[in-house]
Amino acid sequence: MSSLPIWRLVPGQRLVHRCHDGECVLFNDLTGDTHLLEEAVVALLQALHAAPGPAAILAGSDGLPEADPDLLDELDEVLADLAALSLVEALPC
Amino acid sequence: MLTLASLGPRELRARLRGPGLRLQTGPFVTCVQSPLALLADTLAAMYADYPVLEEGGVADFHVRLSGSNGLRRLVRPQVHFHYDGMAPFQPLPLAQAFPMFEWAMNWCVSSQANSWLVIHAAVIEKSGLAAILPAPPGSGKSTLCAALVNRGWRLLSDELTLVRLDDGRVDPLPRPVSLKNASISILRDYAPEAAFTRPVADTVKGTVAHMRASSESVARAQETAMPAWIVFPKWQAGAPATLTPVPQARAHMRLAENAFNYSLLGETGFQAVARLAEQVRTFDFEYSVLDDAIAVFEQLLRERA
Repeated sequence: MSSLPIWRLVPGQRLVHRCHDGECVLFNDLTGDTHLLEEAVVALLQALHAAPGPAAILAGSDGLPEADPDLLDELDEVLADLAALSLVEALPC
Repeated sequence: MLTLASLGPRELRARLRGPGLRLQTGPFVTCVQSPLALLADTLAAMYADYPVLEEGGVADFHVRLSGSNGLRRLVRPQVHFHYDGMAPFQPLPLAQAFPMFEWAMNWCVSSQANSWLVIHAAVIEKSGLAAILPAPPGSGKSTLCAALVNRGWRLLSDELTLVRLDDGRVDPLPRPVSLKNASISILRDYAPEAAFTRPVADTVKGTVAHMRASSESVARAQETAMPAWIVFPKWQAGAPATLTPVPQARAHMRLAENAFNYSLLGETGFQAVARLAEQVRTFDFEYSVLDDAIAVFEQLLRERA
C-alpha cells in the first residue's frame, strides 16, 4: 500500500495576498505571477504554511470543510493545480 | 515660465534642428530633435502651452525624428525615430511624423518610467478625484475621455495613467488625445471649439487625428489626483449607459493585465495594484451616447460627494 503524499508550501512563498468577497489575489514570490484564487484555497495554503501534511489532514483545517471522499478527490486536484503554479510541492515519501 | 509658443516659430525650428527642444510633459522632460518642418508646425499647434526648458538642461528621454536620405527623400519619403541613438521602430511615411512622435512618447514612458505603476488607461479628474479608464483599442476609451474633458473634467492622460508607488496618487501627463477613424468626426461635432490636427490616413491604426489638451490641463500638470473610480468602458451601439460593479479581486487582475510594468515591479506592483483596487470603486461600463455617459460620471461624482 502506497503512503499518502505529504504536501508543503514551496520554500520562499510568503503568501502575500488580499481577499475580498470570497475571492483572493495572491502574489507568487517565485514566479512573480499573480493568481486569482477562492478564499478556501488561500486557507489551504495557509494551512500548509503552518505545517505540511497529507490532504486528509488538511481537510478540516481552519477555513476548510471536513473531509469526505469527494472532498479529498477535489483537494488532490487543487493541490496538483497549486503544484503546477509552484505554490506547493509533494515531499518525497 | 518659458512655453513652446513663446519661442516663436524660428527659435522652435532652430532648437529642433540643433541642440534639441526640451519639452516638459507632466513629470518628464524630453529632448526632441528633428529637422522636419511638418513636425515643428504640428508641435507648435498641439504643444503651444507646454513648458520648455533652457538648452543643456537634463532630459529624461532623448528622441530624434528624421527624414529619409538619398533617393528615399524624393520617392515616398519616410520618418525615422531614434531613441538614444537606437531605432526601435520601423520608419513610417513622412505624413505620419506627428502620430509617430506621439506613439514614440508613449513608448518612452511605458518602457522607461518604472518609478510609477504605468497603466494603459485614460485618466480624468474632477474635484480632486480621478477616474481611470483602462480598455483595449476599439473600446471607445479615448472617445469617452475626449468627450469628458470637453465637458468639465480635467485631462490627466488619454493613454498612460501614472500611479505613484509611494502614496497611490495619479501624476498627470496631459498630452494630445489620440482619436481614430469615426471618433474624429464624432468629437469634432461634439466639441467644435477644440483644436485638432489634420487627420492622417493609412496608419497602422487607421486614420488618426489628435485633439489638443486644454490650456488648463497643461497649466495644472503638477496637480496630482486621488483615484476614486476605475471604469472599463465599452462602446456598444444602442446600449443604455450602464455601470456593472467588478469584484475587487477581479479588478486587481484586470488592472494588472493593463499595467505595462506590473510584472517588472514584482511585489511592489502587486501592492500598488492592491491598494488601488481597495481605494476605488470599479465598474464595467457600456454606453452608446456620449451625453448619457457623461451624466453617469457626474452621478458617480455626486455619490462620492
